[in-house]
Amino acid sequence: MSDIALATPLEKEAPVTRRQPVTQESRATRVTLITLCLAVLVLLVLAPLGIIFVEATRRGAASALQSLTRPEAVSAIRLTLTVAAITVPLNAGFGIAAAWAITKFDFRGKAVLITLIDLPFSISPVVVGLSLVLLFGANTALGGWLVSMGYPIVFALPAIVLASVFVTFPFVARELIPVMVEQGRAEEEAALTLGASGWRCFLTVTLPNIKWALLYGVLLCNARAMGEFGAVAVVSGKIRGQTATMPIAIEMLYNEYLSVAAFSLAGVLALLALVTLALKSALEWRHADQLAATRRH
Amino acid sequence: MLIEIDRIAKSFGTTTALDPVSVTIPSGALVALLGPSGSGKTTLLRILGGLEYPTGGRVLFDGQDAGKLSVQERRAGFVFQSYALFRHMTVHENIAYGLRARPRRTRPTRAEIDRRVTGLLDLIQLPEIGARYPGQLSGGQRQRVALARALAIEPRMLLLDEPFGALDARVRKELRQGLREIHDRTGLTTVFVTHDQEEAMELADLVVVMSMGRIEQVGRPQDIRQRPASEFVREFTAA
Amino acid sequence: MRALVAKSPMPGFGLGMGITITMLSLVVLLPIGALVLHGLNFGLANNWQVVGTERVMASLFLSFRLALLAALFNLVFGVILAWVLARYEFPGRRVVDAIVDLPFALPTAVAGIALTALYAPNGLFGAFVRDWLAPLGNFLLSPLGVEFSGRIAYTQWGILIALVFVGLPFVVRTVQPVIAEIEREVEEASATLGASRAHTLRRVILPMLMPAALTGFALSLARAVGEYGSVIFIAGNIPMRTEIAPLLIVIRLEEFNYDAASAIGIAMLLVSFALLLVINLIQIWSRRRVGDV
Repeated sequence: MSDIALATPLEKEAPVTRRQPVTQESRATRVTLITLCLAVLVLLVLAPLGIIFVEATRRGAASALQSLTRPEAVSAIRLTLTVAAITVPLNAGFGIAAAWAITKFDFRGKAVLITLIDLPFSISPVVVGLSLVLLFGANTALGGWLVSMGYPIVFALPAIVLASVFVTFPFVARELIPVMVEQGRAEEEAALTLGASGWRCFLTVTLPNIKWALLYGVLLCNARAMGEFGAVAVVSGKIRGQTATMPIAIEMLYNEYLSVAAFSLAGVLALLALVTLALKSALEWRHADQLAATRRH
Repeated sequence: MLIEIDRIAKSFGTTTALDPVSVTIPSGALVALLGPSGSGKTTLLRILGGLEYPTGGRVLFDGQDAGKLSVQERRAGFVFQSYALFRHMTVHENIAYGLRARPRRTRPTRAEIDRRVTGLLDLIQLPEIGARYPGQLSGGQRQRVALARALAIEPRMLLLDEPFGALDARVRKELRQGLREIHDRTGLTTVFVTHDQEEAMELADLVVVMSMGRIEQVGRPQDIRQRPASEFVREFTAA
Repeated sequence: MRALVAKSPMPGFGLGMGITITMLSLVVLLPIGALVLHGLNFGLANNWQVVGTERVMASLFLSFRLALLAALFNLVFGVILAWVLARYEFPGRRVVDAIVDLPFALPTAVAGIALTALYAPNGLFGAFVRDWLAPLGNFLLSPLGVEFSGRIAYTQWGILIALVFVGLPFVVRTVQPVIAEIEREVEEASATLGASRAHTLRRVILPMLMPAALTGFALSLARAVGEYGSVIFIAGNIPMRTEIAPLLIVIRLEEFNYDAASAIGIAMLLVSFALLLVINLIQIWSRRRVGDV
């Protein structure tokens, strides 16, 4: 019926022009802006990413892989994994505890607490390292005593972990708080009226609701923990094979003009970053509903 | 202004929103497009306003083809269902927006703009709220500000999409009367969309009953009540 | 007076709050406290004497000035990129959207050596700028007496590029959700009132994005002021010219001059706090102004 109507001679009198919706820019503007964005991203983001792998394989892929088996590379990888393995669970635990206290209860000073949790985002990593040196350095009261007891903090694993925990401190809490605010307290209250204990309520009601946001936060926390440079550089002492994490080892190799080795190790971290991004994007696409609130600062 | 809708069709992909529909809206009339959701009434209103492009047919304003007029050129005072007030502007700035957006040649002076905004605030009987932000207004006040903003551009017609949809029953009654008065004072050809048959019957000179992208009946309220053209119209307008 | 903690049937306040306060104190507040205490012991006058020296002032000024420029670039580009990602359909949009976060995910040291490799005089882009872009620019601008060395890495240009890189995602990620929330009807209303598309973008859309964009700007600025890892490789680190403040802290620490290091550190901490304050004020201001409609 409508087909016949559309075929009436009227069409020829008033040709229907394909016009853009009123809420859109002209095609030329759109193409220009898209081109501009892609150009800047290629120059600034994609090219640096690509050059890592180009430089790493400058003497062939075999040489790149070979350099990763050098003892200092192996120990750096091992140390970085160790640091992440301690840092991430600590901050995940803290993030859950903080989000629980902040979103399930009303208390005075909540805004101050949230600001304090966010504080590490705006402090220079070098200042973080400096603070740890001033607190735990061998020449301070506390640090001197700990060294005399046989527990050196600075220039050893504990300070590297502390520095990593500091710089990644807000990551998990930041992802969980908006999600838990959005979900409210009704489900937990229902579970409690049904006789569930506190832990049972948390494990069976809260945790399933926040699991994707938790994973999201853990991913970001892990990426930053493995890649932290400034804070760790100050407290690690850069002892080859002992306190050099992967980023520190990259700096040392680079300064010694061992370009292939430096870029190969950098390539491993770049791959980790890409995997992180892929997982993060997959989470965003699959579970957008549960993460929606988290993308607002 | 006389509005002639001549075999207007609209489809989104494979779904047909408007089978070719034709209707003539006499100059100065207050017309209701009445129908359930999905009947195509809002689509038709948006085509009149230039927000949507028909896939066939034409619209004539006083005998002239409106197809070549962009939204900006149509000067259709459009009131949105959500009012779509600019929340970062005061009421005064909202109402002055259309005048200030004009190219410098045709833009009124600042004093003239202020004078007109004050006049419009008086017209909607809210003379004191110019300095407030939309977030500080009640639903009924927002609706009237949206109406004043649409009137500020000296429109050739007034188009309203469910103008009372988001309001509670008491305010709705009050504002119906307000719209009637403003229509009578300005003499603007006015088209509003509603799914509320009582509202259409009480307020409009002419009611266009729509269903599933077609016009079921066009007539004065009492004609539609007394002589419904189809079973659908009879059921839909049964009070 | 309101109770310190509102009564609640929900369990676990003590445990959750206990963990939160303990971790916050041990990990964040104790070290920062040690820094502040060290500064207080050293004395205000002494701190000021360290910070007031030409080299320290130059480094602080450099860090802040370049961070500001980088954040300004990111403000403008970030709003454009957020708009393109939120509103335009083009092949690979999702991949581009994911790539925007790379500066968050890529370790700063890795970014640093990668940018240096690209923009060094013998690098891919560095060589292009030196051999083509700079001579061309100098030829065109020679009447003005402007001369560009054609070097990117090991100059302030290099630092700027590194700071733009690390701050890139902030504005995009704060502005994107705001764009998604804009009702189409608001833009349509502007058009029916006779405004051109450009007028709508400038007077309606941009003011709506501004609070979020400014928040992103401040975050990106805070990040850039304190940035270390991505900068030191590309900076050249020449005192008074390309030496950033965080690097000067590291140098003083390597000389075991803890007093001077802490003085510079406190100066940077104050800058951070000031920026944090600004971020909070922006948020309060925008919430009050726009409210909930």
